[in-house]
Amino acid sequence: MRPAPIWPPVRAEWRKVVSTRLWWGLLVPVVLLSSMINLFGGVFTAAFPEEQLPLLLGSLAYALGTTSVFAAVHGIVAAAGEYRHRTITTTYLTSRGRGPVLAAKMLVSAGVGACYAVATVVSGLLAGVAADAGTTFPAAGPLVATVLIGVAVSACWGALGAAFGTVVSNLVSALVALLLYLMVGELLLGALLDEAESGTVRALSSYLPGNAGEVAVYGIPARELAGPITGPQVVELLAGVTAPPDWTMALLVLALWTGAVGVLGWFIGARRDIT
Amino acid sequence: MQDDRSGRVTVRELSKRFGGVQAVEGLTFSVEPGAVTGFLGPNGSGKTTTLRMILGLVTPTAGEARINGVPFAELGRPARVVGAVLEAQGFHPARTARAHLLACAAAIEVPDDAVEHVLGAVGLGDAGFQPVGDYSLGMRQRLALAVALLGDPQVLVLDEPGNGLDPEGIAWLRAFLRAFAAQGRSVLISSHLLAEVEQTADHLVVISHGRCVYQGSLAQLQGSRTARVLVRSNDPVKLADALAATGVLEIDTLSEGWLGVAGSDPVHIGDVALAAGVPVYGMVHERVELEQLYFQLTAEPWRVG
Repeated sequence: MRPAPIWPPVRAEWRKVVSTRLWWGLLVPVVLLSSMINLFGGVFTAAFPEEQLPLLLGSLAYALGTTSVFAAVHGIVAAAGEYRHRTITTTYLTSRGRGPVLAAKMLVSAGVGACYAVATVVSGLLAGVAADAGTTFPAAGPLVATVLIGVAVSACWGALGAAFGTVVSNLVSALVALLLYLMVGELLLGALLDEAESGTVRALSSYLPGNAGEVAVYGIPARELAGPITGPQVVELLAGVTAPPDWTMALLVLALWTGAVGVLGWFIGARRDIT
Repeated sequence: MQDDRSGRVTVRELSKRFGGVQAVEGLTFSVEPGAVTGFLGPNGSGKTTTLRMILGLVTPTAGEARINGVPFAELGRPARVVGAVLEAQGFHPARTARAHLLACAAAIEVPDDAVEHVLGAVGLGDAGFQPVGDYSLGMRQRLALAVALLGDPQVLVLDEPGNGLDPEGIAWLRAFLRAFAAQGRSVLISSHLLAEVEQTADHLVVISHGRCVYQGSLAQLQGSRTARVLVRSNDPVKLADALAATGVLEIDTLSEGWLGVAGSDPVHIGDVALAAGVPVYGMVHERVELEQLYFQLTAEPWRVG
């Protein structure tokens, strides 16, 4: 039997996304947060004209790291919401297998996450320029690189959210679990790892999914602002990690987490009884 | 294994255990094309679980269910083969009926025009742009049927479709299902009420406590119990003797001068009574109530005795 083409379920998932208000309901806080964060970035850039520091690049990275959680929330609702509204029955009855449904959900949620990152960048740059950062606008190279990494991180969180929503399937539990983990769980884990004797164990905190995403987006701006020597220390401070890897490794780590949760979702989703 | 395009559903030795509860046990039956098969049983007898196993939503503990000769999961384009209206099938309240159907149409790979077609077919043509949250229960049932019909399937599976439909809707559904089966397609419809499927179903599968207690045609079920004539006379003993002399031997003596006579008819009994000189005060054709048979089939063990 030929493998099921992914296009039909992707189109179906896309139509589901655009036919409810969720996507722009989450877009509003994304734009507001990014505008606020980068307004400060612009203000600070303008405050130190003699330093010639493109602080806006830093605030943009911070905004990208912050708003990627909305991509995850969207992914979770897209997947677990189907159980809440009992539409999962129809979804499975109209699809060739449960694997393609999960893959389509992860792809579409990744797309929505990427759009959120783009919205973060656009609103953030506008707010920054409005706050008079024009004197020291970030250079094109680091800016484009930061934007692309931010888009990739947000896309990963969207896909990871969809996979996690499939694993947990209870919408409220999934949302609470994700937010608690990102806001408290990862901090506790990081603190616990930091207690360790061995430097290798302490360095592990960079490899937790939330931290990995932050390390990835902060990498380039930190080096631009603080130079190659102090850059990693700035990343340590911002992401709360020890001895962070460079952004390529961090992005790979987040992608691997996404893949791992995806495999778990595939395994559990395939065996779940829909009653 | 290949999809044989027969439209036949076969269930063989199907069992499902949820934790400590045996929901379905060793169920075997088939649904033939060109007919409506009624799937009857009291609430909680395992109907929904069985239908969901047929549709690949619940994994059986043992046994198998096949559609067109293959398990649901191996159907190339499942929605083109089987459409289903299930009880716990929901809609996003903020999504319009059209948007819901368009998402399904994309998944099934049918053109978007099919959406308008099925909306019209179930009588929701004017309500397509309303969010489903504003729909009545009956409208939701119609929308669920529209989704089921979207792929123009060979087999329709309906779980208690009468719930939420008004009498007009039920009559409409009945006619619709008859016409659907008349095109050589298969219909499997579950209900806990015999009266609901009595006028629609050609075949019956009756289950109780997860086991099959009857499978066959409605006519066979009715014929499984011989009809009696009840006759009241002033001398039941003499009448019984006279009837016995003509070869009618299945006679029960009831109270107040009534006799229950099986294997005969009122004309013969009247003639015999006249010839024997026994005055007859009344005769009643005892009707075999299907509902009563159904109750006996599905009754709790202690009530049977």
